[in-house]
Amino acid sequence: MLTVILQQGINGVVVGSLYVLVALGLTLIYGVLVQINFAHADIVTLGAFTAYFVTHLLSGNYFAGIAVALIVGGVLGWLVNAAIFMPLRERGNELLPLIATIGVSIMLQNAMLVLLGPIPYAFDTPYSNSVIHFGGIFFTVQNMLIIVVSTITIGLLYAFMKFTILGKALRAVSQDRETAGLMGINPNHVIMLTFIIASALAGMSGAMLGPVLVLTPFAGTSVIVKAFAIVIIGGFGNVEGTIIAGLIVGLIESYTTQFLDPGLIDIVVFALLLLTLAVRPTGLIAEKREENV
Amino acid sequence: MRKQPLHALLTSAALVGGLLVVSTTSILAADKVIKIGGLFPMSGPGSYFGAQDKQGVELAIEQLNKSGVNGYKFEVHYEDSSCSPLPATQAAKRMIEQFKPDVAIGEECSDATLAIMPIMAQAKVPLLNAGSSSIKVTKPGNPWTFRIMPNEVMQGIDIATNAYKRLNARTAVLLHENTNAGIGNANVFADTFTKLGGKILADIGFGRDVNDFTSIATRVASLGKVDVIPTYTLEGQGLKITQALAQAGVVKGGGGKSIQLGTIWLPFGFEQKAGKAAVGYIRIVQFDPTDKRDTVHNFIQAFKAKYNKDPTHLNAHAYDQIMLIADVVRRGAKDAQSIRDGLAATKNFSGVTGSVTFDKTNQNIKMDTVHYMETKPDLSWNALKWN
Repeated sequence: MLTVILQQGINGVVVGSLYVLVALGLTLIYGVLVQINFAHADIVTLGAFTAYFVTHLLSGNYFAGIAVALIVGGVLGWLVNAAIFMPLRERGNELLPLIATIGVSIMLQNAMLVLLGPIPYAFDTPYSNSVIHFGGIFFTVQNMLIIVVSTITIGLLYAFMKFTILGKALRAVSQDRETAGLMGINPNHVIMLTFIIASALAGMSGAMLGPVLVLTPFAGTSVIVKAFAIVIIGGFGNVEGTIIAGLIVGLIESYTTQFLDPGLIDIVVFALLLLTLAVRPTGLIAEKREENV
Repeated sequence: MRKQPLHALLTSAALVGGLLVVSTTSILAADKVIKIGGLFPMSGPGSYFGAQDKQGVELAIEQLNKSGVNGYKFEVHYEDSSCSPLPATQAAKRMIEQFKPDVAIGEECSDATLAIMPIMAQAKVPLLNAGSSSIKVTKPGNPWTFRIMPNEVMQGIDIATNAYKRLNARTAVLLHENTNAGIGNANVFADTFTKLGGKILADIGFGRDVNDFTSIATRVASLGKVDVIPTYTLEGQGLKITQALAQAGVVKGGGGKSIQLGTIWLPFGFEQKAGKAAVGYIRIVQFDPTDKRDTVHNFIQAFKAKYNKDPTHLNAHAYDQIMLIADVVRRGAKDAQSIRDGLAATKNFSGVTGSVTFDKTNQNIKMDTVHYMETKPDLSWNALKWN
């Protein structure tokens, strides 16, 4: 039984790491803009398909697939923000960009449906079926990669936010956009940077999720609801909270599957969400908005 | 201001991209026409059904409209029913109000079919179903709904009996999506298998939003000796389950001893996508491409000529749906009521998937549409000829 508990713990960390990657982009954008980005799921999907095609074109070079997915996600984030969200924000209505994210989501989803078709793709990397058995535990090299890449990404993001000028500018805009502007920070540039980073993260998380997901043009939507839940549980806009919440949700999923029933996963996760909202409405970590991002 | 044109362009593209594309086959206005409504999932996780159904339908229509049947030609209008009850009911209502079909075909998913059945019955438009397995479609069903494939009870009893008697299975773990069809199929298997003396070690249901099946595979691996694993899911989740079970060393494809049992829900090509994990997988398909009948041979040739690929069982059963309607028209049907009556009187219609004879509940009673296939190490099929 101990082996099973350990195995499910590993499974939970893998799934949780994937959720964290998806949720980080959401939480970054919320932290800076106080805006929910519904198109995030579709950038995740696009990242997954980008990685799929690049990996196949380059004879199984999955790392190139991850890199290109990250770049494509970042470029798309820049394009969408410059072409749609920024002009709408300049009109001063906070609702318009929110609705526009839904429009972009529908556009991306249907464009992928037309171009790629509805039939699920089998995204097997050279590491998907390399299984390592160790003391009754099994894990694929792909799963190890997910944990390693997630850890490195989280570490780099944390370092960027804490120790770089750009990261500090981003946090400053998150705390008080107007004051940050008076201090010489251009909020529009910071918002653009946030979109690029968040979308690049979405693209990369798609590349990591692709081999795990049922890869169709609707793939991202299957994880985005959980990602939103994680962002709320962690504290909207709080990076540390998002990481902790993501791992908790991943572990809840695997242990619910083992000891209860996988059909109860959503009930347990969203019960936790409601409990968090009731007991600690600001999330697991955040108390004040100034602490976020 | 310079950003405005790009903004406008992308906003327009969003609107265009968001529009649902529906299409209608075109025929001359002077022709007498049988109008067929196609209610298929074109979006969502079941959309691979719709894409392949449409191919089979288009081939059949093309062949029939070359000369017509009893002076009638056939026109099809598709609506996206999304494999889900709410969009399916909206699609059915839209189709009835705007297209006014003489007969409808679809849906594939049982929940969606069950949702549209009362709408079609109220409009007195016969609904010919090929892919939904829930017993509720025909029991109690209604006079306007017909099903050409064996229902979950017929399939479930057959699979469980074969598992127990031919594979000598004594233990099973059920894996299924939490839908009418998933739960229903699993329950029938469990009832039959336990009555024969087998034991169900676990009944594991899950939502369609589950992506990672490693945890489920871990749980199955922790249950000890499992002989068979009947699995009832759509293709995407089916792929992930099979690969996860192989990675956990449970099924033959991963060096284990358990045999996964599947249904007609999975399309052709599943094995190639799943890779070695699928080795040893036994599943039923609704169409046997090795069938020697001329009907089957001609269908395969025509399909290859039109689409440059081999047909799947979804292509085949959609083709059969149209050909059965044409057969009814050939027997004198000309409107919704007479098509319904003609369908009810169908005896031994020979389609590419097998034969069709409807009983009093409008259920096809023939079992020759069920073909068992085992995946060989080279991922090709070994036809088991169990029926």
